[in-house]
Amino acid sequence: MYQWNAMLYGSSNQFAYLTEFQHQYRFVDDALKASSDVRTLSTTMDDQEKLLGDAIAIVRSQAFQMKRFLDKSRLMDALKSASTMLAELRTSLLSPKSYYELYMAITDELRHLELYLLDEFEKGRKVADLYELVQYAGNIVPRLYLLITVGLVYIKTNNSLKRSILKDLVEMCRGVQNPLRGLFLRNYLLQCTRNILPDVLQSADEQEGVVYDSIDFVLMNFAEMNKLWVRMQHQGHSSERTRREKEREELKILVGTNLVRLSQLESATLETYQRLVLPGILEQVVSCRDAIAQEYLMECIIQVFPDEFHLQTLDPFLKSCAQLQPGVNVKNIIISLIDRLAAYNLRNSKTITEPGEEVTPIIPQNVQLFEVFSIQIANIVQVRTDMPLEDTVSLQVALVSLAQKVYPDRVDYVDKVLETTIQILDRLNMHNIAHTLLVNQELSRLLRLCIDFYNNILTLIQLKHFSPLLDKFDHTSRKSLALYIVLNILENETLIPTAEEADSVLVMIAPLIKDENDQSVDKLDPEDFAEEQGIAGRFVHLLKSDDPDMQYKILQTARKHFGLGGTQRIKHVLPPLIFQAFQLANKYKHIAEDDANWDKKCQKILQFCHSTISVLARADLPDLALRLYLQGALVIGQIGYTNHETVAYDFMTQAFSLYEDEISDSKSQLAAITLIMSTFEQMTCFGEENAEPLRTNCALAASKLLKKPDQCRGVVTCASLFWSGKKNGEEMRDEKRTLECLKKGARIASQCLDTGVQVQLYVELLNHYLFYFERGNSLITITMLNQLIAKINEELPNLEQCEETKQIEMHYNNTLAHIRLRMEAMSNDTGLEVSFADIVLSQ
Amino acid sequence: MNYFGFGQSADVDIVFDGAENRKLAEVKTEDNKKEKYLLYYDGETVAGKVNVTLRKPGSKLEHHGIKIELIGQIELYYDRGNHHEFTSLVRELARPGDLIQNTSYPFEFANVEKPFEVYVGSNVRLRYFLRVTIVRRISDIVRELDIAVHTLCSYPEMNCPIKMEVGIEDCLHIEFEYNKSKYHLKDVIVGKIYFLLVRIKIKHMEIAIIKRETTGSGPNTFTENETIAKYEIMDGAPVKGESIPIRVFLAGYDLTPTMRDINKKFSVRYFLNLVLMDTEDRRYFKQQEITLWRKADKSRKSALTSSNNPHVPSHLVGSDGEMMGQQNTSHQSNDGEDRPEADNDPTMGLFTQESPLQQQNPITNSESSSNTPAHLRPAEGAAADQSASLFDEATVNVGSDSNPAATSNSTSHLTQSVTTAAVSESSKSKSNSSTVDESTTPLASNIDSTSD
Repeated sequence: MYQWNAMLYGSSNQFAYLTEFQHQYRFVDDALKASSDVRTLSTTMDDQEKLLGDAIAIVRSQAFQMKRFLDKSRLMDALKSASTMLAELRTSLLSPKSYYELYMAITDELRHLELYLLDEFEKGRKVADLYELVQYAGNIVPRLYLLITVGLVYIKTNNSLKRSILKDLVEMCRGVQNPLRGLFLRNYLLQCTRNILPDVLQSADEQEGVVYDSIDFVLMNFAEMNKLWVRMQHQGHSSERTRREKEREELKILVGTNLVRLSQLESATLETYQRLVLPGILEQVVSCRDAIAQEYLMECIIQVFPDEFHLQTLDPFLKSCAQLQPGVNVKNIIISLIDRLAAYNLRNSKTITEPGEEVTPIIPQNVQLFEVFSIQIANIVQVRTDMPLEDTVSLQVALVSLAQKVYPDRVDYVDKVLETTIQILDRLNMHNIAHTLLVNQELSRLLRLCIDFYNNILTLIQLKHFSPLLDKFDHTSRKSLALYIVLNILENETLIPTAEEADSVLVMIAPLIKDENDQSVDKLDPEDFAEEQGIAGRFVHLLKSDDPDMQYKILQTARKHFGLGGTQRIKHVLPPLIFQAFQLANKYKHIAEDDANWDKKCQKILQFCHSTISVLARADLPDLALRLYLQGALVIGQIGYTNHETVAYDFMTQAFSLYEDEISDSKSQLAAITLIMSTFEQMTCFGEENAEPLRTNCALAASKLLKKPDQCRGVVTCASLFWSGKKNGEEMRDEKRTLECLKKGARIASQCLDTGVQVQLYVELLNHYLFYFERGNSLITITMLNQLIAKINEELPNLEQCEETKQIEMHYNNTLAHIRLRMEAMSNDTGLEVSFADIVLSQ
Repeated sequence: MNYFGFGQSADVDIVFDGAENRKLAEVKTEDNKKEKYLLYYDGETVAGKVNVTLRKPGSKLEHHGIKIELIGQIELYYDRGNHHEFTSLVRELARPGDLIQNTSYPFEFANVEKPFEVYVGSNVRLRYFLRVTIVRRISDIVRELDIAVHTLCSYPEMNCPIKMEVGIEDCLHIEFEYNKSKYHLKDVIVGKIYFLLVRIKIKHMEIAIIKRETTGSGPNTFTENETIAKYEIMDGAPVKGESIPIRVFLAGYDLTPTMRDINKKFSVRYFLNLVLMDTEDRRYFKQQEITLWRKADKSRKSALTSSNNPHVPSHLVGSDGEMMGQQNTSHQSNDGEDRPEADNDPTMGLFTQESPLQQQNPITNSESSSNTPAHLRPAEGAAADQSASLFDEATVNVGSDSNPAATSNSTSHLTQSVTTAAVSESSKSKSNSSTVDESTTPLASNIDSTSD
């Protein structure tokens, strides 16, 4: 080892401090040497804290010394303290985080020195050769920190030195090649110079520098910092890679600050940016071939520079994206850029479109934003063969989103992207993309984006490549997308006005409508299925055109599609279709005066309904079919076109045959027959020859019901057929047959063995009797009523107290209350047809 | 006459003409203290007065003559008895007689030739002094007074940069460049290191200024190395393609001009030692001699502060560092072939590695074998004298087994010379041992521009 020879240099006093200046480094050297042996030992968190604490303590005491010397105007001694303090930054033991804290503490103290020197310089008390003086420090790290500090003072007091000193500083910093120390040193340089970088296009004094000098300066500093930062990745053991990457992550902001500084140069115009700044950055970014750096820096470029610049430099930027390392998530970079530009577009169009002002295009005419992105993304996809497919699709998603946000009316752009996506998938021979794949998610996102953006299925249909792309999915995803589409339609209540469109939409949502070959065999949860189909049913109502003829075509188309759905589905989707048809028929009725052919058309529609209902009937859905037949009959009755009676009769008979052949459950039977009767009661269109068999059949069917209470109720209901049922358009008012029915009901009730049910039936009967009595059936006498009341009064108390009994009592009491009201009303006013007098309410 | 205490005695003082205006120079004394002496240059007249003050006024001083001498002499410490005077001038001040009162004698050595500079080293001293002698019968009264002498040089006509490419095969290749080969004492060394290949983990790099003092001749040669300055120029490990700037201000260090063969007694020469230290504390270094010369102070002042503002820092990268810039671009543009400057000065050096265990493994490598014959020198070459200027202390200590270069076929001719031309830095431990004579040192490395 060398002997250290410290001797005073006699002739020049200002160098007297050098001895000590150099002297101290020997100790630091030795200390460092000793510490370098333990460097390999991993330092724990506690060690870090301790090391940092020690270092900070030294910094504090040296800083104190420095300030004391400064107060006494002993600059040399102060510099010596400063360099001892700075020597702490030579350590290799601290983690980036701790090193940062140390750096902050030290640079904070250096400010005092800087302020002192500035003050001195401004008072004219300059220290000769100070810039040279600080360069005698034996160790490079403290030397350069001091040099920067002093250089800054020189620049601040003498602008004409700016250019040369800046150049000198950035060049001299090359001496620190250790990544951590180098990064912080250069960061200090950057921090110090942030306010003094020349930012003018022309200056009177060439030596003051212009903005180009600043660009050169920062770019160079940036390149060097980036190199150092990247180099960190390749140091140490591979086992510590995660830790290293974490550390690099912590330090990235230091590198990024360079770009921020560049972006803050106000006189750097777009032209400068295009010609100098961006190429400089990109060259460095691409050539560093480090994934972490590239990803971060590209993102940085996007974020720090204004959008106006980005718009004009898309090509070079995106070209560089294609050249990035395999590990780089290019997708995110491009998406981020697109998002920014889209947001920019949005933001500006809001501010610019003020009332009275002409809307100027935000994106300059000469920038073919979409084309540029489209081409460059295609290029990237082609070049980066390693990119996962889902990322490729993500890029397409971004592209679509760009097209939508910036060119909302350019559907062809979106379609073009979809086409590209299909081509990409075709090239990879991707079919039936399983819903478990990532790419599936991205693709779904792509499609959903389209759906959500337009919120209009009709626009969606214009996208020629939407459906083909949809076909690339597996069944599960197709179905969920179909559902998504339908929900979207429902939400926006988009009406689908033509048959062609209906056809397209229905093809699109086919997975909801019919079984498909690749469907999974697993049974769906019935509830989910019902919900799904319910939604599909709701959708039917939106198949609506103002033009009835078109509406008919739509219905036919829909029928064709829905017909393929199978038993499970038609139950949900055909009824709405049929009701749609009914409505249509009604509509024709309305416009009968305008449309000469309405009659035939209605016939056709009803034919359509008939066949559709029969499908339901055949599909083992007798209840549903029966009701639809009845509804149909009603509609026909109301429309009253030519030949309607026959058709209505046919509908009724269809209902009857369903009742007879298919409905076996007694409850359903009662419900069905009640419905048939009530429908028939409403119908006016039948002539007597058709009405009589129906009526008789009803009565017969009612009396044939299995259970006595059912029989009773059926028969009693039947009474209404003879009373309010229509004959030649008027109520029949057949008193005799009405009473017969009631009596038959009473007889059947009396046959009931269960007294509870019996009393219930009696109460109901009483109501019916009362009803017809009030309506003026002269055959019903007060006696009959009194008998019934007496009977009920007799039986009711014998009933066991239970919930049912209570209900019966309640019903009965309400009935009695009604009678009482009637009686009172009568005493005041004799205008009623019948007399309620003499009704004995209680024993 | 003094035995009895009543003999006359006198104090002698030498007073120089214009002493108050003359500059002082610090000169080290033997015990490492510094004293200030009046400074004279070659050819300057040394004149003044000798004042003789009688201790006992009133009584006379009998003498056999008074004389003053100007002596320049070299003292070798190991040979205390023999002083080698290279200059000795005498002036008679008084003829024999009696002094009865204080007397002042003017003297003048007009335009004295002072060929050498004052020097105090570890083994040798060169000094000038005036000696007044009052010759008496029994004991002379003698008074000596040192003066300082500086020799000034004019700006050297030839001052090419030092450029060299050195390396260890497949391990480390660097190219370094110092802007000059001759520096004045207040000069600045500007240069750069360009890393062509880095496969070792370098911890830091420094430049050391080494002073080498050689005394004696023939078998009695003594060499003393002293590190005057150690200056860190790089921290951390560079990668291929990095170029590291060098800027060393010399003014702050304790340097003397280079002295060659002063009166055939001694030499003082300076070397720049570029040292790289790897993470395992192995040292790799390369020494280059530089010539130091003394420039007149006035001219230095004007040279340094060429601009109006005395506070403008000199030697910024942009101003006198152009050389580095050029180098940079030529390297970046084409790393492999086009290196005109290297061709002009195809110096291929040794790179010496010194392990912590003091095993010395000097390694050499040739970058381009086509060039090597031109600057390889056969061991018994006629120009061996010249080659010594690069490495004057060389020991042959390396066997072929420890030489990695031996495996390289492209450098086979080089290998031979390497085995005989291993060069190692000799540390102080062996400074007093006689080393291989310069003239017989066979070297693989070529002489460069520093030889003059």
